[in-house]
This record gives sequence, C-alpha cells and structure tokens, in this order.
Amino acid sequence: MATKEKEQELIKRLQDAVINYKVADAKKTAEEAVASGADAYKVTMEGLAGGMEVVSQKFDCHEYFVPETLLCAKALYAALDVLKPHIKAQAGGAKGQVVLGVMQGDVHDLGKNLIKAIFEASGWTVHDLGRDVPLKNFVDEQLKTDSDIVMLSAMMTTSMVGIKKLIPMIKEKNPKVKIMIGGAPITEKTVEEYGADTTADNAPNALREAMKMLDTLRKGKAA
Amino acid sequence: MAREEMTSLQRVAAALTFGQPDRVPAAPLVCGASHRFSGLTYGEWSQCTDIDAMVQGHIDALDMIGHDGVVMLVDLSVEAHAFGCEVKFPEMNTAHPNYDDPYLKSHKDYKKIQKIDPRKTQRMKGVIDLTAGLSKQIGKTHAIVGFVYGSIGILSMMRGPEAFFMDLMEYPDEVMEAIQVVDEVLVEYAQAQLEAGAHSICYDHLYASQSILGKDLWEKFEGPSVKKVTDVVHKAGALVSFHNCGNGIYFDMSEKWGKPHAISHAYVADDVDSWEEHKAKWGKKIGTIGWIPPGPVAMLGTPEEIEEECKAEIEIFAPGAGFVLATGCEYGPNAPLRNAKRIVEAAKKYGVYE
Repeated sequence: MATKEKEQELIKRLQDAVINYKVADAKKTAEEAVASGADAYKVTMEGLAGGMEVVSQKFDCHEYFVPETLLCAKALYAALDVLKPHIKAQAGGAKGQVVLGVMQGDVHDLGKNLIKAIFEASGWTVHDLGRDVPLKNFVDEQLKTDSDIVMLSAMMTTSMVGIKKLIPMIKEKNPKVKIMIGGAPITEKTVEEYGADTTADNAPNALREAMKMLDTLRKGKAA
Repeated sequence: MAREEMTSLQRVAAALTFGQPDRVPAAPLVCGASHRFSGLTYGEWSQCTDIDAMVQGHIDALDMIGHDGVVMLVDLSVEAHAFGCEVKFPEMNTAHPNYDDPYLKSHKDYKKIQKIDPRKTQRMKGVIDLTAGLSKQIGKTHAIVGFVYGSIGILSMMRGPEAFFMDLMEYPDEVMEAIQVVDEVLVEYAQAQLEAGAHSICYDHLYASQSILGKDLWEKFEGPSVKKVTDVVHKAGALVSFHNCGNGIYFDMSEKWGKPHAISHAYVADDVDSWEEHKAKWGKKIGTIGWIPPGPVAMLGTPEEIEEECKAEIEIFAPGAGFVLATGCEYGPNAPLRNAKRIVEAAKKYGVYE
C-alpha cells in the first residue's frame, strides 16, 4: 500500500506526463503506481483526468491545438492501459455511459477520438462505434448498453442528413436517451431542426454539455 | 434590379482587386454539387474519367444558378490519390482515402513519396483537362478558379490526420522531407492549371487556423509551401486565393506567406472577434469570399433565411469591394440547388454598387 505522500507524488507525476505529453513517463509512472499498491482509481481520476482537465483548459485558450492534445491523449492512454485492470469495480463510479460514432458515409473521426479521450479520462464509459457507422448500429448499441447519451459526429452535409433519420430511430426505442450532435456543418439550428438535445463545438465543451444532460437524466430518475 | 454591366469574369476580377464591380459577385461553391447536372453519379464525377460530362455539368449549373465563377475543386483527395494513396469513391458521397489502410503506415513511409507529373497523373490530369475544357467555353466570361490542396493537407490524407498531426511533433524531419517533394509537384500543378486557363489558383490551407494547428507549427510546415505555389501564381499575373473553413484563420500568416487577393472562409480571422471587426481590420487588404454557412443556411435555410443572411453579409462586406458572396465552405453536394440560385439572386438584389 502506497503512503499518502507517495500517492500524491504519483498523481502529480501522472498529471505532468499527460500535460507535457510524455508518453514513456506516463506509462512508467502508472506501472510504479500499480507496483506500489496505490489506489488505481484515485490516481487515474486525479492524475490522468486531472491532467486532461488542464489540457482542456489549454485547448480552450489556444495554448494547445490538435497535435498537442492528441499527444496528451496518447500519454493518457499509455497510463490508462496499465491502470485500468487494477481499478476495482466498486470504485469504478462511471459518471455515465455514451455511445459515440461518426455517421455513415463519413470517415472524419479526429473530433470523435478527442472526445473519447476526454470522456474516458473523466470516468465515463465510452462505447466507440468508430467511423462510417450504419445508422442501425447506434440504435442497437444504445439498447445493448443502456447508455445515457448518444453522440453523433458528422463533418459533411452529406453525412449530416443521416442524423435527421437516426434521431427518431433512437428515440423511438428509448425516448429518454439524450442526443448530442457535432461536427463542422452542425449548429444550434441543426439541433432544433433534427430534434437533437444539444451540440458542442469542441471536446471540452462536449464534456460540459454531457455532464449537464446526465445531471438532468439523474434528477429525472430520482424524481 | 439594375442592368448588369460587366461579365462575370470582369465582376469577380474587379471585386477581388478592390476595383469597381457593378455588383457583388456570387459564387456559392457548387463544386461537387455540379455533378447533378452532368448525368454522372457523384462517384463517377469524382473519378474524373468523363471530362466532357463534367464540363457540361458545370456549364449547365451556371445556366441554372447564374453564379459568377467556377472552382476546380473535385474533392480533397485528388492529389493524395495521384501520389499513390488508395481512394474510395462512394456513389453518393464525397471520395476519400481508405483510412483503414493508409498509404503511409508509419513515419518511415514518408520516404515512399516520389515526385509525379501532375499533367500525366490520374485525377490531377483530370482537373487540368476540366480547366481547359471550361476555359474554351466560358473562359472569357466567367471566373475559373484552379484548386490546389495544401502540402500538409495532402500528407494528412495519405497518413490519416490523427497520426499525421502527431508526426508533425514527433517526426518533423521525415514530414519536412516529404513536404519538399509534394511542393515541387504542387508548383507544377498550379502552373498547369494556369496554362489550361485558370484565372486564379485557390490554395486550400485548411490547417492554418485555431481549429487545428498553432500558428508557429503551421508556419514551420506550410508557410514555405504556400510561398512556392503562390509565387508562381503571382508571377503569372493571376489572382491568388486561399480557402480555409476553420475557426480563427491566420490571416496574418496568409498575408505573410502568400499575399492573397482573397480568402474563402467561414469564420473570422484569429485576431478579431466579429465580422464587422474583420472587415475593418482585413477588408481593405485581403478580400473575403464567404461566408454563408453551408449546413444551416444554404442547405436547411428557408428562402427568407437565406435572403436575410445574404443581405446581412453584403451590408457588412460590400462597401469598398473585396467581397464575393459565397458559402463558407463547399456547397453541400446534396443540398437543394434552388438555394444556390437564391444566393445569386440576393447578390443581384442587395449587392448593386451605385
């Protein structure tokens, strides 16, 4: 069992490795955390998610751009792969579950992958369907996983139109599920027109929107 | 509506050189959308095998919509394809590389990229032939804008964007070496389009915005590429334009490296906060081709919304010329064509210069 001081040191090192995109350092520190018996969930959430939160802030204020953020995510995954098997089920405490994918006919998955990294770092369970996903797969995956939110990405008007068709398909099976849409051609008007719940213009904003929707869903269940 | 005194070509040239056009030109970027006039599927159109049908498609689109210029964009994979990248041609969707099996599988593969002759290679030849075909028919009356996808855009298609962006930071030397080869080809490609009759070359520097790369990183990798290609265009006395549909575009870098007459864009420059500010800061130096949102307005907008949007944009940007009313990115290949016509009609209604 690692001491509190050791755990704090490991958390700080993980944060630094993610923020400064040091892939080897991230992996090595994660291995050290496991070997020292540190709480894997705690170091994941405070170290990796904490680091990624700083990355999101840097992205928001244009200090980091896509390449830097991708490398941060690479460092994050290098550590997460080591820590994940050691996170105890009861400590899992997933914030929520999302089904995520790029619409049929569209292969632009950069934004989707950044969202996945930020959500996973923040403790969400992400069911990533990849790119060029047939509409029916979103419906099936939502039902299978009972996910709270379905997130649909489209970079082109040709793939965007599939969203209009897909939303009623998802809502018909599960009216309570929340739907977030995003990508270059999508605006608030598209959200309204297609019957989605919200949109976000980048990964950190997507996380904020998802947190709000999850909160609404859980309040609804409690009531 | 006043009688039009200029040809479309004169109008576009006057607008982009800050002269005195009779009205705001309109060019709703109906590139892929023109396939719907050609009798070809989108997939067939993108393969550039029936140039006569493509020429006729553009001419018929001009007849129906009435825009002032045509852009030679087929899709962004044309150059990568010519360099050897496998490309998929969906029947009703935009052609794209096979990202499941990228041409450049690791940073070591950048060495695979060899110089090609654009005048002889696949779809680059197709674009040159298309330009020549259109030049014969409308070269004296309408603006023909050649199109070159930027060096790092091409490489990102061959490698896959995600891996490519990380390579920029992890393997800069390998990327840089490949850029030199691509640049040589792009210079020849621009030259060939000009010789075929293009009045302008549009260089797509998609990653020169806050949406993707930091300014320093963009400048390091693509600034010199832009200069090489645009030097050729300037030297030929043709107009230089850029396209960038990212958010927070680096107009200062564009000016530094390419001295463009205009930029086709969907969002404001990174150093201003509104369209009014953009006009005040950049409107006398670099023309704007834009910025009607292709999705919510051009594709989904009601006739009233389209007219309102066009009117508002003209009010801000028409004064002093340097403005072409256009969509901020390519007109949706599947969007209602009537809306493109509405954009042209709005330019005629609200964009007349006294």
